[in-house]
Amino acid sequence: MRSSTFLLLSIVGICGAVLNAAAWSVNNFLMTGPKAYLTYSSSVAAGAQSGMEECKFQFGWERWNCPESALQLSTHNRLRSATRETSFVHAISSAGVMYTLTRNCSMGDFESCGCDDSRNGRVGGRGWVWGGCSDNVEFGERISKLFVDALETGHDTRALINLHNNEVGRLAVKATMKRACKCHGVSGSCSIQTCWLQLADFREIGNYLKMKYDQAHKLEMDKRRMRAGNSADSRGATAETFHHVHSTELVFLEDSPDYCTRNASLGHHGTEGRECLQSGKNLSQWERRSCRRLCTECGLRVEERRTEVVSSCNCKFHWCCTVRCEQCRQLVAKHFCARRDAAVANHTKRRNKGHKR
Amino acid sequence: MAGAIIENMSTRKLCIVGGILLVFQVIAFLVGGLIAPSPTTAVPYTSMKCIDVRKNHHKTKWLMPWGPNHCDKLKDFDEAVSRQIEANDIVFAVHIPLPNKEMSPWFQFMLFIMQLDIAFKMDNDLKENAEITLDVSLAYRDGMFDDWEEIAHAIEIRKLKCTFGSPKTLESEGRHYDCDFLPFMEIGSVAHKYYLINIRLPVNERKGINVGIGEIKDIRLVGIHQNGGFTKVWFAMKTFLTPSILIIMVWYWRRITLMTRAPVLLEKVIFALGISMTFINIPVEWFSIGFDWTWMLLFGDIRQGIFYAMLLSFWIIFCGEHMMDQNERNRLSGYWKQVGPIAVGSFCLFIFDMCERGVQLKNPFYSIWTTEVGTELAGLIFRFKFLMLITLACAAMTVIFFIVSQVTEGHWRWGDVTIQVNSAFFTGIYGMWNLYVFALMFLYAPSHKNYGEDQSNGDLGVSSGEELQLTTTITHVDGPTEVYKLARKEAQE
Repeated sequence: MRSSTFLLLSIVGICGAVLNAAAWSVNNFLMTGPKAYLTYSSSVAAGAQSGMEECKFQFGWERWNCPESALQLSTHNRLRSATRETSFVHAISSAGVMYTLTRNCSMGDFESCGCDDSRNGRVGGRGWVWGGCSDNVEFGERISKLFVDALETGHDTRALINLHNNEVGRLAVKATMKRACKCHGVSGSCSIQTCWLQLADFREIGNYLKMKYDQAHKLEMDKRRMRAGNSADSRGATAETFHHVHSTELVFLEDSPDYCTRNASLGHHGTEGRECLQSGKNLSQWERRSCRRLCTECGLRVEERRTEVVSSCNCKFHWCCTVRCEQCRQLVAKHFCARRDAAVANHTKRRNKGHKR
Repeated sequence: MAGAIIENMSTRKLCIVGGILLVFQVIAFLVGGLIAPSPTTAVPYTSMKCIDVRKNHHKTKWLMPWGPNHCDKLKDFDEAVSRQIEANDIVFAVHIPLPNKEMSPWFQFMLFIMQLDIAFKMDNDLKENAEITLDVSLAYRDGMFDDWEEIAHAIEIRKLKCTFGSPKTLESEGRHYDCDFLPFMEIGSVAHKYYLINIRLPVNERKGINVGIGEIKDIRLVGIHQNGGFTKVWFAMKTFLTPSILIIMVWYWRRITLMTRAPVLLEKVIFALGISMTFINIPVEWFSIGFDWTWMLLFGDIRQGIFYAMLLSFWIIFCGEHMMDQNERNRLSGYWKQVGPIAVGSFCLFIFDMCERGVQLKNPFYSIWTTEVGTELAGLIFRFKFLMLITLACAAMTVIFFIVSQVTEGHWRWGDVTIQVNSAFFTGIYGMWNLYVFALMFLYAPSHKNYGEDQSNGDLGVSSGEELQLTTTITHVDGPTEVYKLARKEAQE
């Protein structure tokens, strides 16, 4: 999954600084965790990273394409916003952290996953030999909550919304889990059967949350009570409103800004210079309309550029680690969004911009 | 001496006996539901990708996924590409159990299934009917710092059955195939504390080994073992039930030998049923705690098979005794047509079981389901669950609880009390069969009361017309008991 996301990103043209920026924003996650949980920090960082990669994949052909700044924004109190997009970022990053922690648990990365002392005295808490341990997912959920929710220090409506969306992300991991069973009775009969839940592909969690993003629920607050400034009052209003929201629904407070245009203060680059897909087989409706969505509807025109791409082809693959490829040259037509006027003059400038990103 | 106890006992006493048996039945369910944990646990393991440095250093044969002497790990295969590591240098290592835990003999058995995460790539697609060749080895040790001792090493071939849910386009690259899980390993005893599995996927293009199996991202194993708590409850139950069935068996046979006539076939069959139940009951599994007896799983299967075959034979003879002609009765040879197939069927199952569990004694990675013959047999035998289906008398209970255990999550919560439904199912059904055999022996033992003493006995489920028949058909005292004759009458009608 990671490699494909990376592939896609390089097609779009965002290379270079991506990883550095990611590391910077991911570090925010680590600063919040209690010191006792330092062992989990690398997994948490990797999880947040995989969440962002998935976000980039899911929003590859949208006006807002999940820039790295999205994760930073959510952690900088001053610039916090609660749009539909930030709700997705919150959900996918907390899901990514939970997913990675759960997965690394089964790799033996941590000393105690489902079997720690916190379960003593509870059902199945009589230990590993007596009744086995609880699911690793519960552990992942707990630690993810510890790290990701700790980022939210505020107590206002936005904080509540962010915490809610974090929870939606964690619930998405659970909701997409698959139940698998194995029969092991006499001669393989099903008289004895053992079932367990296993994590889905992270892409599936991404798809699930994208669907939730499309159905996200705007929280209509009683504006007058909010503006009154009385925090207790506003909290009461928030609690009242949250009452109607289902726990698996993403929630946002503000309408999204216009992502067509560049807005440095909000941290988005606009759609100028973005690649879009116009023709080609096996494109979904959504992808085929990406040029209209990114360029035409934003007042930009579609520019076609033909480039010669050297790629490896006719490869003989092993299950891991490629061997023996031929170099093929291919003429590829790519489409980019460009300004309607002075297309030629802007050409070099745009390129630079693309590179810088 | 005439008639069985069931014919001569008063309704009140019969109800008391039934009530007591019912109480024990309820206790059997409660033991599983309230005391025992769920019968088995599935533990997911994700293998660590280790780099095999053996070629260079000749240091150690075994690669550890974590701990003090862990191997040179790869985070993912992109790293392997950049470090120019080849597929043949990669070893998938799994340590059982996870850190800070130990395996225990109470787990009784371990079985592992394998799941492959194969990513889709446009130019490295999974071939049709692809086969994966695994070079697997298993080792154990009992101390954290001991050397690993090899248990088994084998080269196994497994068929990949994978589907891809999305269209095979560039966009879907990186998505995983949906693959059926593969049987990986089965061990009949858990005598050691730590186990280590090393899996290699050797590539040989000339011989076509491990070519066209797509891009493998991860190997995951799921380890299934019996819960220690369940084993303890199970053993306790066995230890308690063995003497009770044994005592009633002795009592039953003494009653029969006290009679002037030779025992009839049905009585012998009931006795044989008692013997097979006792055979299941005897808690020889206690030895598995101290000894490394890997054949215990096979032995358990055999015991269970004998009991079911015996039960089936009993039912056939029981029905037959009431339907066949007078002159053919009371001889086992009269039933060869019915009992023969049972014997043949059970023998086939035994051979089949030997083929899998028997071979697994030598090679724990062997699985008959992956062989050509095995997959064909699986059509035949997998659905051939007559062993479960013949449980006619207790079928209602068994089926209800079976369904409940399949549908529910394994335990129910009632306030603070958690009920382990699956355990309740196992202990309950087990208790039920014991009680069944117990009741059978008790009720069909010859009565010492004189016949006719309990004429008030009208609750046998027969109409008054046949009750009359009951009193008039006594011709010879030492013949088969009345119930049989009666049932035959009904059958003929």
